[in-house]
Amino acid sequence: MEKKMLVEEHIASNKRKTIVVCGLMALLFIAVVFAFGYVFIGNIYISLAFALPIAFAYIAITYSTSVQQILSAAKAKPANPHIREQKLLINRVEEMSIASGLPMPKVYVQESPYINAFATGKDPEHSVVCVTTGALKKLNQEELTGVIAHEMSHIKNYDIRLMTITIGVVGAIALMSNILFYSMFWGGAGRSRGGGRGNEGQIILIVVAILLIILAPIFSRLTYLAISRRREYLADSTGAYMSRNPEGLAKALEKIKDDSVKEKPVGSKTVAPLYISNPFKRQASGSAWSTHPPLEERIKRLRSM
Amino acid sequence: MDLLLIGLIILVILIIVILIAIFFGYYNKIIRFENRIDNSWAQIDVQLKRRAELIPNLMETVKGYMKHEKEVLENVTKARSALMNAKSPQENIDADNMLTGALKSLFAVAENYPDLKANQNFLNLQDELTNTENKIAYARQHFNDSVLVYNNTVETIPGKWFAGMMNKKTREMLQIPDADREVPKVKF
Repeated sequence: MEKKMLVEEHIASNKRKTIVVCGLMALLFIAVVFAFGYVFIGNIYISLAFALPIAFAYIAITYSTSVQQILSAAKAKPANPHIREQKLLINRVEEMSIASGLPMPKVYVQESPYINAFATGKDPEHSVVCVTTGALKKLNQEELTGVIAHEMSHIKNYDIRLMTITIGVVGAIALMSNILFYSMFWGGAGRSRGGGRGNEGQIILIVVAILLIILAPIFSRLTYLAISRRREYLADSTGAYMSRNPEGLAKALEKIKDDSVKEKPVGSKTVAPLYISNPFKRQASGSAWSTHPPLEERIKRLRSM
Repeated sequence: MDLLLIGLIILVILIIVILIAIFFGYYNKIIRFENRIDNSWAQIDVQLKRRAELIPNLMETVKGYMKHEKEVLENVTKARSALMNAKSPQENIDADNMLTGALKSLFAVAENYPDLKANQNFLNLQDELTNTENKIAYARQHFNDSVLVYNNTVETIPGKWFAGMMNKKTREMLQIPDADREVPKVKF
């Protein structure tokens, strides 16, 4: 039985945990940069000068991936106010935008028999909310409101920006690790490091650096997924506060749990964390490799608010 | 000796700069939060006006179908005039409640008229009014949320000191009586 916690406490706790996990990611990044410097170049500052532009380039590229591309990949179309269920969708988004004080996002609809929704856009002034036709058919207005509140919480909490930057860092770590690994493979580890130091010390450091290089991509990926899950919980609790009705989203999540469709989902995989439930993998049970927390746990927490 | 003096002067300047930055920060924060309150208040008004505009249209559409539901229809008309004639804030709130309740009853009773429910005009109006009532509720909610954030800043330290300097006081939240939430009783 989940202890009864105020929504505000859920929100604060989720924000604290995000900081912890992001801190971990930053440490990992710094460690890899140092390893890179130590093993490959022999000078940490040059290595930093090498690593930071890579990281920024990755982030800039993924960040500027136009919203249009994400929408095209999902085959999403602007919501049509002449179709009643889409007009009702627009109405619910208007309501949540008033409740949250956020500017009204563009509303899109994705043809799909699954119940799902995602939000994207680089900041609240340029945001988009997209809901599947399956969701419009299968959810009632209370549940739809819950889903929309969750998605707009992602916008409000700048999760899109956070996840884009995080994946940029993950990419940079992976790239640097790859370079290091192959360079060592083909001989060339341990160049100028100044003579006169004890051999054992050097060897230990090299081993540590090698381990770091092999494990860093895995750890950074796991950390990224941990951040993703944490932000999902935060969006759940922020959304519950926005709509003042956690039960709406809880009911919608239950319908998603029982939602079974045979069709293959279409869209770009990078957007997976922005959906309300990962459309590419049926992840009802949790694991360290999920972008989303287990549905059961999310429902439990919502009902304890 | 000179170095010490220079060091001290730099330190003092640094502290002054930091204090000014903090002052700017809180001043701007308080102004922003206050603007948010005013904005959400205006938003409530916009939605209330919208609702008032939709009602005559609704009455025209339903009166042909619901000829025998005199009481329900009159309740809406009565509530609407009460709202337009309200003078004090309390009268306003009471009339507003009355109108929300009267509309709820009307829509509940309309469930018994399949012809009416098939009328596209009626459906549109029902969707619009539901939308508007929801927006009124959320606008009030956002108003109260904005007041909470503002009050928190203005009542805690150090915001309290800046608020005093700017002569800003705490604001009051809207009290929405629970009459609003009653399920209407429908006689068959």
